Amino acid sequence: MAERVFITGMGMISAIGNNVEENFRSLRAQQSGLGHTRYIETIHREVLPVGEVKLSTEELAERAGKPGSPEFTRTTLLGLAAMQEALMSAGISDPRELPAAFINASTVGGMCDTEKVYFDILDPEKEGTFLKYIDTLDCADCTQRIADETGIREYVTTISTACSSSANALMYGARLIQQGLVQRAVCGGTEALTRFTINGFNSLKNIDKQFCRPFDQQRNGLNLGEGAAYLVLESESLVRARKARVMAELSGWCNTNEAFHPTAPSPEGDGAFEAMRKALAMSGRAIADVQYVNVHGTATLNNDASEGKALERLFGTEVPKFSSTKPFTGHTLAAAGAIEAIFSVLAINRQMIFPNLNFSEKMEELGITPETKLLEEYPVRNVISNSFGFGGNNASLVFSKYEG
Amino acid sequence: MKAKCYIRGCAAISPQESFAGHFAPQLLTLEGKSMMRVKEPDYSGFIPPNSLRRMSRVLKMGLVAALQCLRNSNTSVPGAIITGTGRGSLQDTEKFLHNIRDYAETALNPTPFIQSTYNSVNGLIALQQQCTEYNNTFVHRGFSFEHAVLDSMMQLAEGNATEVLTGAFDEMTDEHFYIKSRIGYWKNELTQPAELLDSNTTGSISGEGATFFLFSSKPSDICLEGIKMVYKPSGEELQQALQAFLSSQDIAAEEIDLLVSGRNGDTQYGHFYDGVEGEFSDARVFYFKPYCGEYDTAGAFGLWAAVKELEIGPAKTVLLYNNFYGEQHTFMLLRKAAI
Repeated sequence: MAERVFITGMGMISAIGNNVEENFRSLRAQQSGLGHTRYIETIHREVLPVGEVKLSTEELAERAGKPGSPEFTRTTLLGLAAMQEALMSAGISDPRELPAAFINASTVGGMCDTEKVYFDILDPEKEGTFLKYIDTLDCADCTQRIADETGIREYVTTISTACSSSANALMYGARLIQQGLVQRAVCGGTEALTRFTINGFNSLKNIDKQFCRPFDQQRNGLNLGEGAAYLVLESESLVRARKARVMAELSGWCNTNEAFHPTAPSPEGDGAFEAMRKALAMSGRAIADVQYVNVHGTATLNNDASEGKALERLFGTEVPKFSSTKPFTGHTLAAAGAIEAIFSVLAINRQMIFPNLNFSEKMEELGITPETKLLEEYPVRNVISNSFGFGGNNASLVFSKYEG
Repeated sequence: MKAKCYIRGCAAISPQESFAGHFAPQLLTLEGKSMMRVKEPDYSGFIPPNSLRRMSRVLKMGLVAALQCLRNSNTSVPGAIITGTGRGSLQDTEKFLHNIRDYAETALNPTPFIQSTYNSVNGLIALQQQCTEYNNTFVHRGFSFEHAVLDSMMQLAEGNATEVLTGAFDEMTDEHFYIKSRIGYWKNELTQPAELLDSNTTGSISGEGATFFLFSSKPSDICLEGIKMVYKPSGEELQQALQAFLSSQDIAAEEIDLLVSGRNGDTQYGHFYDGVEGEFSDARVFYFKPYCGEYDTAGAFGLWAAVKELEIGPAKTVLLYNNFYGEQHTFMLLRKAAI
């Protein structure tokens, strides 16, 4: 029997707050972080809303103790903010105290800064500090800088499976623990807004010019966001040995592939259905044990239709409360799985279900509608969190209340 | 973690004639710059012409190496698909960056953006083979392919899959070659592969490739016994990790009869290889980078070369050691099953 895996620490930064508590307060106040970008140079600036972290890169560097270090990209600095909070909340003062893993996720790495100087890098006539950015172009750079700041080094790697990246990072870290390779893994993702990604999703005609409306008949696409989130995962034996405070159990997970289309899910939600079904089976919980599903809910035409169908197939007439929190944060791509993992843990620990903002009209192809009100003192014991992405990559995670 | 991981089949697209037939390593003669390109096979037997036209270079390389590996292993639908890539489709990333500038962010073709996504090759393999199981992609320089291997071994150990398709792919473009030359990745003067290891200069020769393996829990001739990764070690820490790895595998240094070494001719990192090679004075050493060049997932070509050596014999026990610019170090131990 493999060891149970517990969450003992969490840290995050997003458009609705610079730490977990600020995020929680915004969720509870039903305060969205969507707006227009202050920091990205793009012609879409006034047109496409985004969920941007409300700090400049310089302010982030200042907070991380790295002022005047252009090699620390916005991606890295967002990650550092989340990592420092996660370790502190887990009561870990020296991460070097035992061999640990850092499993990070990113979709475009340091592109946020590299894209500004890319054509200077290509120009042999130009020299300057931008040469420091060259190595930040890939996804490994941010991971290694964060690892090196903390001293975590037993396993250091980066996963990139589009929008399911950090859900897969959590899964991978949990499995390293279950296989006995480490007792502690810090897992999650970091993602900064870039002109590259905004134009990418815009070229796919996937971005709504209004605030996104998940699971609404009139939904018309997603809003991109940025942020970072990490969760500290520990084995049951380590938790007992160091008497760590347990926030929740990561009790089930599943990764499937749709094998349907490079950028679209199957209409019946086959991959989403299988991911949720198998993750729940692994957790040993029944359908009736799930009180809340934090859906992927990007508000694209395809995702919500497909994910909604999968929910109806799995839960039948007893679909639990569900909501997309993307109208708060925007779709933070590689960070989304970890950000929403934290929201799932908060739902359990604060006994609360967060509303699906901007919903008004039921989708004609579904019989279900998302929860639109903040529910307090709601008995949440098990939550499914979904992350689905390009390439048909689906991931579902199950979080359960810790009952000893 | 205790699980046997047998290598049922493999396939490689590399600067060598490695895709089909008997492998006979050839040192290439380079012109212009220190850069090796893969010898691309005829893709038409694998991909329908309509799809082939739309796919960029690394997608074709990755998909076809994966399909050939499945053919070589007499398998069509594996229980998981796990890959590593340091750079994904550079060609598409560059194209989209240029398009954003050239067309001032308007009327952009989404294809390069979609194909630049690191998991696009994995998605394509899954789509083509209708594999709906576990699917993952690691993007971490010299720990991209290596974590794909570890993930695969865990899938077998967990019993989630009995066969895993595991691979790596990376390409080099002229643009990216230039970018990396600005921070010393390559040798300044044109250096021939035959001179790579004795050049006594910094930098290496750029390479590329797509390499896939079918790992299985069912016994076959060649077994991948274990893997150990070491992140940014000192020379001493690397030696300690090597000894710990050998003892965890219950093997003495003398039992290794072939060392497959990733020495890349960059004098800055030669001391790591000196230290490791010094522990195996009785073993023959095969240096694989003069044949494939240096790139994030060159370790996959190293594993492929180790498998080929075991197939031909007489080597029975092989240790693979590789590092990527001194930061990500990996040991892998392979054995030919006693039959």
